[in-house]
Amino acid sequence: MSESTDPNTTHSPSSPVQQEDILTDHEYDGIKEYDNPTPGWWNWLFIGTFVFSIFYFIFFHMGVGPSIESQYDAAQAAHIEVLFGDLGTLEPDQETILAYMNHADEKWLKRGASVFQQQCAKCHGSDGAGVAAPNMTDDKFIHVKKLEDIARVVAKGANKQLMPAWEKQLHPNDIVLVSAYVAKLRGDNLPTRGWAGAVGEPIDPWPTE
Amino acid sequence: MSQSPSADIAADSPARPAVERFSYDDAIVRKFTLATLIWGLVGMIAGLLIALQLAFPILNMGLEYTSFGRLRPLHTNAVIFAFAGNAIFAAIYYSTQRLLKTRMWSDLLGKLHFWGWQLIIVSAAVTLPLGITQGKEYAELEWPIDLLIAVVWVGFFGVNFFMTLKNRRERHMYVAIWFYIATIVTVAVLHVFNNLAVPILSGTVINSYPIYAGVQDAFMQWWYGHNAVAFFLTTPFLGLMYYFIPKAANRPVFSYRLSIIHFWSLVFIYIWAGPHHLHYTALPAWASTLGMLFSLMLWMPSWGGMINGLLTLRGAWHKVTADPVLKFFVVGVTFYGMSTFEGPMLSIKSVNALSHYTDWTIGHVHSGALGWNGFMTFGMMYWLLPRLFQTKLASKKLAEWHFWLGTIGILLYVVSMYVAGLTQGLMWRAFDANGNLKYEFIQTLTAIIPMYHVRVLGGMLYIGGVVCAAINYYKTWKSRPAKYEEPVHEAPALTPAYTDAPPPKTRLSEHGHPELAKKIDVWLQGHWHRRWERLPLKFTVFVIISVVVASLFEIIPTFLIKSNVPTISTVTPYSPLERFGFDIYKREGCYNCHSQMVRPIFSETVRYTGGYSKPGEFIFDRPFQWGSRRIGPDLHRVNVSVGKNPYWHYLHFMDPTRSEEDSIMPPYRWLATDTIAWDTIPARMKVANMLNPTEHKFPPEYMNRVVDHAKRQAMEIAERLEAGGGPAAETMADKEMIALIAYLEKLGDDISKTPDEEGEADATTEADDETLTVGAR
Repeated sequence: MSESTDPNTTHSPSSPVQQEDILTDHEYDGIKEYDNPTPGWWNWLFIGTFVFSIFYFIFFHMGVGPSIESQYDAAQAAHIEVLFGDLGTLEPDQETILAYMNHADEKWLKRGASVFQQQCAKCHGSDGAGVAAPNMTDDKFIHVKKLEDIARVVAKGANKQLMPAWEKQLHPNDIVLVSAYVAKLRGDNLPTRGWAGAVGEPIDPWPTE
Repeated sequence: MSQSPSADIAADSPARPAVERFSYDDAIVRKFTLATLIWGLVGMIAGLLIALQLAFPILNMGLEYTSFGRLRPLHTNAVIFAFAGNAIFAAIYYSTQRLLKTRMWSDLLGKLHFWGWQLIIVSAAVTLPLGITQGKEYAELEWPIDLLIAVVWVGFFGVNFFMTLKNRRERHMYVAIWFYIATIVTVAVLHVFNNLAVPILSGTVINSYPIYAGVQDAFMQWWYGHNAVAFFLTTPFLGLMYYFIPKAANRPVFSYRLSIIHFWSLVFIYIWAGPHHLHYTALPAWASTLGMLFSLMLWMPSWGGMINGLLTLRGAWHKVTADPVLKFFVVGVTFYGMSTFEGPMLSIKSVNALSHYTDWTIGHVHSGALGWNGFMTFGMMYWLLPRLFQTKLASKKLAEWHFWLGTIGILLYVVSMYVAGLTQGLMWRAFDANGNLKYEFIQTLTAIIPMYHVRVLGGMLYIGGVVCAAINYYKTWKSRPAKYEEPVHEAPALTPAYTDAPPPKTRLSEHGHPELAKKIDVWLQGHWHRRWERLPLKFTVFVIISVVVASLFEIIPTFLIKSNVPTISTVTPYSPLERFGFDIYKREGCYNCHSQMVRPIFSETVRYTGGYSKPGEFIFDRPFQWGSRRIGPDLHRVNVSVGKNPYWHYLHFMDPTRSEEDSIMPPYRWLATDTIAWDTIPARMKVANMLNPTEHKFPPEYMNRVVDHAKRQAMEIAERLEAGGGPAAETMADKEMIALIAYLEKLGDDISKTPDEEGEADATTEADDETLTVGAR
C-alpha cells in the first residue's frame, strides 16, 4: 500500500497518534481511510470475552456448575426452611386451624394472609368480600360447616373446580395457615363486591377452643 | 457536490478506457427523506399515545381499534420499518451511487421500491388496529403483507442494489457498502424463515399459523427479532455512519483495519445472540448460554463501530460545537456505544433475571432507537437537506432546538425506564423476613406509574424536536430552485483486467522470527481483504455463509434434539373453541402486556403458583405467546388461581378495575357482544391439525364436527358463567369472550393433570368427546 502522511495532523511529535496516522491509498467519494491498527485495549477485551466464554461454557455445560433447575430446587428448599423451620407438617384439622387462628406469633396469620393475597384474592377479593366468588366475611357458607371444611375445600376444590383444588400447588402448612386466615375473615361482614351466584346458608360460629 | 474522478483507477489499466458520463438519482432520495419524517412523526405519536395509555388508561377509549394491545405493534412497526426503514433507504440510495460512481441501476425499480414500501406501511397501519396479526413481536404483519415485503425487499430493492454494484465504476467497495450488503441479504433470510406460516383460507379471514410451535417458534422469533435489531437497526446505520460522518466532518475514517475486523465479527457473532431474549424460559439451557456468550463477544465488535465513528472526528471536534449535523452524529454514536455495552450486560443471565419483562428493556431499546437510529437519521437529514434541495438549510437555530429537545427527551425517557425497570424487578423478587412475598403485583405497577409520566414528558420533548425538523424540512423545500440541477459526473468504466497490489512485506525483522509468524503478520495486514473488496459476488457469498452457518449451529440442534422438548403425556391439542380463543388472544395483542412464561426463579413460582413453565407445554402453541414484558402479571398459571371460574374472567374483561382497583388494563367489553365466527373454525382446525405432530392428530370423524364441539364447549362454559352470576347462558354461548375463556382455562393447565384425570375430565362432557381423547393421545 502506498502511504502518505496526513497533512491535517497537528499532534506533537511525541504523540502516539501522530506516528500511526498513516493514510491508505483508498478514496471513495472523497472519503479517505487511515491505516491505523486496532487499539490494544480493544484487542485484549475482545480476546478476553472469547476466553471467558470458553471457560463459562465448560463450567456450566460440562458437568461442573449447577443447572438452573438445581439452583431452583436449592432455593426452594432454603425457602421452605425460612418459612416453616421446625414447624413440621401441620394437620388440616379443627384443632390445628384454631390454634393458628389464635397463635401468639402473628407471623403465621401473616403467612396465611400472604397466601390468600397471592392465590385467593383474585376471586374472593383482597378483603375477602367476594368479587367472583362467595363473600368470606359473612356467616353464609356453601361447602363449609366446620373449621376443617375450609381446609378440605382449599385442598380439594369445590363446585366442579370453580373453586380450584390447591393440594398439588400449596404446601400442606400453607393450606392450614390460609384456612386459619380465611376463618378469621368471617365476622368482618363486608358487603359483597360482585359475586351474584349461590351463597349458601348461615352456619354455626367457629368453636372458641 | 463535486465529484473528483479518481486518477488511480484510470492508471490501473494499461489502455485508458473511455470516460463515461453519468448523473445521480436524487429524486428518490428526496422521496425517502420525506417518508422518513412523516412516518417518523406518525410512529412516534403512536408511541406517545400508548405511553399515555399506560399513564391514563382511559385513553384506550373503550374501542378495540385503539386499545394498547393493538396499537403497540403499530408503534413498533412504524418506527422500525417506516421511520428507520425509509431513513436507511435514503442513506443507501444517496451514498451507494456516490460510493460506486454510478446512478442506481433502475429508476423504475427505485420507484417501485419506494411506493411498494409505503404500501406495506399503509397496510400495516390498517391491519394492526383491526387485530390482523401474526402475534410475533416485530413480525406482526400477516402473510399477504409479508409476501409483499419479500417482493419489495428482494425483487425491487435487492435487485436494484446488486445491479448497481455490478455496474459500478469504483473498483473497490467502501466499508459502507459492506454493511449494506449484509443488511440486504440477512434481512431477506430472517424475514423469510421467521414468517413461514400456513394461511387460513376461510372467507375474509386474514390469518395464519406458523410452521413452528412453542419452543422452536420462540427460538426462530428471537433469532429474527434480535437480528432485526442487528441487520435493520445496526448494520445499515453503521453504513450510514461510515459515509456521512467522514463527509460531514471532512476527516478520514480512523482505521480501515478496524473496519474489517469489526464488520466480519459483527456479522458472524450477532446471529448467535438471539437466545438471550429467552433466558430462564423453556428454551434449552445450552441455547440460552450461547446467546449470552455471543452477546458478550459482540461487545467489542460493536464498539469497533463506535470507535471508528468517534475517532474519525479527531481533529474536527471544534466543528462539533458549531455544526448541528455533527452534534447529532456524536450523540447518536455515543448512544450506540452505550446501548451496545448495555446489551451484553443485559444478556448476562443473572442480570437478565432481574431485568427481563421489566421496563429496563424498554429503556434499553429506546436508547438505541431514539439515540442511535433517531439521531443518526436526523444528523443525516440535516446534512442532506441543503444538498438535496440545492439551497441553504432554512434554520440552523431550529436544528439546534431539535438537538437539545431530542437529547433531553431521550435522557428523561431512558432514565425513567431504568428506574421503573429496576424498581419493578426488585419488587417482584422481594421477600419479607418471614419468607412471604413483600409486594402484590399491582403494587409493583402502581410504584412505577410516576415514571410512566416522566416517560411521557420525555417522549413529548423528543417529538417536539421532530416537529422542528419537519418545519425545517418544509422551509428548506420551499426555498428550492425552480429546477434541480443534475450535475454530470465523469469516470471511466471498470475494465476486467486488474492486478492487485502485491502483498505487503512482513513488519517483523528478517532474523529471529519463524516463517509462520512472518506469514501471520502479513496476513494480519489485511491485503487479502482488499482483494475481496473488488469482488462483490464473492464478498456477498462470504456474508451469507457467515450468517447462515452461525444460524444453523443453533437452529439444527433446536429442531432435531428431542430432549430439548421433553414430552408431557397430559398435554393435548387445543379444542376447536380453545383454538378460536387462542386466535382472539393473539388478535387483541395480549402478549404485549402479559407473559406466558413462569421462569425457574423461586420468587416467580411463589407468585405464579403451579410450577415453572416446561418446554413440553407449548407444543401446540402456534405462535408461541411467551411475551417479553409484564405490564400485567404472567398468565401461564392463571388457571391455578382462577380455576374454572368464567365469572372472574367475565368481570375482569368487562371492567378490570372491578377485581383490581388500580389495574391499568383496558376493558374488553366488545368480547361480550361480538359473536364467534363459527364458520371459520373448520379452516382454523384444518391448519392446526395439519401442523400438529402425528401422534396428536384428530381423527376425520372429529374434524368433521368441530363446530358442534365448539358450540357444546361454549354452552358448558356459558352455563358455568351464569351459575356464578354472569348473564344468561343462551346470550353468552356464542360470544367471543367464551372462546377466550375456553383458551384461558386450557392455558398451562394440562401439566397439572394426571393421565387418569385427563380421561375423567373428558368423560364428564358429552360421550362424543372420547374421540378427542383418542385423537389427542
